[in-house]
Amino acid sequence: MTEQDVIELIDSSLAEEFELNREEMTPEANIYEDLGLDSLDTVDMVIVLEAAFKFKIREEEAVRGIRTLGDIHRFVLEKMAESS
Amino acid sequence: MSRSLSGLSHQPLSAVVVLMNLWCYPALVLWTLTGMALFPLFYLSGRLLQLPPDRLTRLAIWIYGRGWLLLMRPFVRFRRQGMEHLTKDRPCLFAVNHFSFFDTYCMALLPVYNIMFAVRSWPFRMFWYRGFMRLARYLDVEGSPLEVILEHCRHAFSRQGAVLFFPEGHRSRTGELQRFYSGAFKVAIASKVELVPLCIAGTESLLPPGRKLFRPCTVTLRVLPPIDTHDFQDRQGHIRLRKLTKERLAAALDDIRRQDAHAL
Repeated sequence: MTEQDVIELIDSSLAEEFELNREEMTPEANIYEDLGLDSLDTVDMVIVLEAAFKFKIREEEAVRGIRTLGDIHRFVLEKMAESS
Repeated sequence: MSRSLSGLSHQPLSAVVVLMNLWCYPALVLWTLTGMALFPLFYLSGRLLQLPPDRLTRLAIWIYGRGWLLLMRPFVRFRRQGMEHLTKDRPCLFAVNHFSFFDTYCMALLPVYNIMFAVRSWPFRMFWYRGFMRLARYLDVEGSPLEVILEHCRHAFSRQGAVLFFPEGHRSRTGELQRFYSGAFKVAIASKVELVPLCIAGTESLLPPGRKLFRPCTVTLRVLPPIDTHDFQDRQGHIRLRKLTKERLAAALDDIRRQDAHAL
């Protein structure tokens, strides 16, 4: 899976789960202010990413620090690099 | 299919619309002032009968809502459907779609009054309603963590009350369902109460966001069959419950609109 494939899978999974507009999903987009997610959605986001990439996310501290879509991309890419 | 609501504001004003607004706005203000004036007497009488303050205030709000329905009736046809799905004094969580500020008023179509509304912060900023909302222990879900919301809801359920959520969080501006947030579904599952989807249709024509004038319409409130939340206790349960509820509400909304189109 290339980096672009990973980013595409993240964006399409989140867009489907949270009914997001793909045009608004830029790496700089703040997931709370720009994409309209709330704190409870963070839990759902973890579940969605785990299902899409078949890994477990236990880094709660790191997840709490996520602010932008770009942060999610980097977080998943690092997870995938660790597991490979 | 998205329904253009903003387009309605450009429709020419008919005599009926003018008459409706000349009647409804003053009548609503007068009814609100009358309710405020009568409330202390009602409240004190209820307290003498040892009714709990929150329940008493919810009853007063329900009566106020009933009055509003009567005032609107010359111009709005109200329909209730599926009321057989409700069981008196059985705790449940209502999840209702959201088109208009007046959706909350339409909840007086329900034959139950002991309902704690879970709403965002802005209705609490309306000073003329705020005191009543506090007395009725309505829940400000915007500024509260899930644990606090859960505690308040469990308190209401333990007293055979119901809690009502708008899972979309705010009013639809397209006339279609928006994305649903998870909070309501987590509360229903964690509290192990039934989730009862309520479908409201027609208020998007009555007074959608961004429009100032009422328009005559038919408003339908349909109670859908309750969903047992015991089957949704796994980690992804709230997501499944959220999707199922939205699916059922979307189907009910389509069905009601088909009925209305046939009736024309």
